[in-house]
Amino acid sequence: MISAVDLIALLPLLILTGTAILAMLAIAIRRNHRLVFLLTVAGLLGALALVPMAANMTPRTVTPLLLVDRYALVFTALALAAGLVVVCLCRSYFGVRADQPEEVYLLILTALLGAGVLAAGRHFASFFLGLETLSVSLFALIAYPYRDERALEAGIKYLVLSGAASGFLVFGMALVYADTGTLEFSALISASSTLTIIIGTILIVAAVSFKLSLVPFHLWTADVYQGAPAPVTAFLATVSKGAVFVLLLRYAVAGGLGQAPALVNVLSLLAALSMLAGNLLALRQDNLKRLLAYSSIAHMGYLLIVLVAGSKVSGSFAAEALLFYLAAYFVTTLAAFGTITVLSPSDREAESLDDYAGLFHSHPWPATVLASALLSLAGIPLTAGFVGKFYLFAAGGLGELWTLLALLVVGSGLGLYYYVRVIFQMAKPSLDIAGKPTAPAPLEAHLVLVVLLVLLFGLGVYPGGVIDLLTMAALR
Amino acid sequence: MLQILFYTAALVAVISTVLVITNANAVHALLYLILSLIASAVVFYLMGAYFAALLEIIIYAGAIMVLFLFVVMMLNLGTQTLDQERRWLEPSAWRWPTAMATVLLIEFLYVFLGGGRNPTGHIVTPKEVGITLLGPYVLAVELASMLLLAGLVAAYHLARPEVRR
Repeated sequence: MISAVDLIALLPLLILTGTAILAMLAIAIRRNHRLVFLLTVAGLLGALALVPMAANMTPRTVTPLLLVDRYALVFTALALAAGLVVVCLCRSYFGVRADQPEEVYLLILTALLGAGVLAAGRHFASFFLGLETLSVSLFALIAYPYRDERALEAGIKYLVLSGAASGFLVFGMALVYADTGTLEFSALISASSTLTIIIGTILIVAAVSFKLSLVPFHLWTADVYQGAPAPVTAFLATVSKGAVFVLLLRYAVAGGLGQAPALVNVLSLLAALSMLAGNLLALRQDNLKRLLAYSSIAHMGYLLIVLVAGSKVSGSFAAEALLFYLAAYFVTTLAAFGTITVLSPSDREAESLDDYAGLFHSHPWPATVLASALLSLAGIPLTAGFVGKFYLFAAGGLGELWTLLALLVVGSGLGLYYYVRVIFQMAKPSLDIAGKPTAPAPLEAHLVLVVLLVLLFGLGVYPGGVIDLLTMAALR
Repeated sequence: MLQILFYTAALVAVISTVLVITNANAVHALLYLILSLIASAVVFYLMGAYFAALLEIIIYAGAIMVLFLFVVMMLNLGTQTLDQERRWLEPSAWRWPTAMATVLLIEFLYVFLGGGRNPTGHIVTPKEVGITLLGPYVLAVELASMLLLAGLVAAYHLARPEVRR
């Protein structure tokens, strides 16, 4: 049964749940955008503040479903911080555009709850429930401006494909259960890898690859990234993918995925295809959101190196590399989509590359943030992305994955081309400044961009502080 | 014997599910869907999960029946729909679902009237289900409630008419 100590370990998730319910009640009594916004921010800050307190109780298995350890808590804190950023971006974005913007916050809170459960999941039931809570909230967030055909189309695409992926997931779980007789991840390590388990695990990996938009399950990515509102795309690109990855690494380490060479081969193939296809597809994009979508496919491919290496190097180093890369990727991606949000005029989104011509001259501040984010995505030294790539190389080198590392180098080279292309576009002398999108200057959105920019360079110049934190977050 | 019963019910489930997907007529597809759910209920029943079998019938088949009724009621607009309904009730439409449902009924009666002659494995009682749900799986129940809340809010938001401010 659940004891008081268990409840303390669960406090961040409990606060999230409570805030979601309070927000729902507040909306039901009287709609007030500012009140719901403040409530959400307070809830997220409260949950963040309680993470250290929960960390004192770790590692703790709360019922067979959840394992609250530092690995889970570090990711939960990361997701909460990303949620805070997205909420701040949402306020001005939806305040102007939506007729009823309050539900956005409620859905973000439930999505974060799903992400937190995924991070702590050690059981197929929590895996499935967390993933569904995250996905169901995301359908509605993606299609939130449902009078806009593109957003609705993106929402339906995500709904249908996500439903199909869930079908694969449950079938895979059923096959694994049929062989092992238990739903806990740790049972896999003692089970001999029979054909049933391998097929089941491959089905699970296929379902998860859909969520991570790995090639060949990536077809939805560009359309959904483009159709979804910019702050929601930021959330989708960071929290949703990160949570699934964190769970996948735990599953791989706890379940001893590395013992089955077939699975390692499948994961390596997915990584190689994603790195190549993602970068190649991004080369000729003239739409910034689609470009970032393809670049995210490539980045998820890079991250798979950690997972493949996780079967060979120690689980704690793989966890450290994964969490650092995710932190860097979160900061960078949020900065990029945050700039898109800030620059978007109220009737459409600034997504075409033409919108960014001469941006350094017309809007030097957002242009600086976007340029830094793109350089970090490319992995230029002094940015967070560089240290993240460094970790990938270290993990790949320890695991002796030379082919994948070669592809990482090729992919990064291709990536540099299209990231720098956007920066060149921004540096062009602009003739038509009056026609450029005007930023409505919401204070909290700019504040968020400042924080993200500081973090982006902070992680790149002095990563030591965060690394010390992460070494304590060793997996198992 | 149990294996024959199981594979017959499973075969009915698979065939009817394939027909759900391939059938162009929504109402016919719904009929096959109900049949598919009943077939899985029989599979549960054969394995001793009586409670799950009952829930399968009550919740899924029952709820879908209601949906089916709503569709019929909404379509029932006048005399021209009578012809339509008559066309739906042609023997070619109900021949196969009835045949398959009869197979399931015979299986059920065989096991039921056998009175425990057929081993069904461990019988799961509702009490056991309740103890498991509110014991080790209590967090799953709470999480499912949050999942439903998210779904409810999403459905409310996407289905409401636009409000002018």
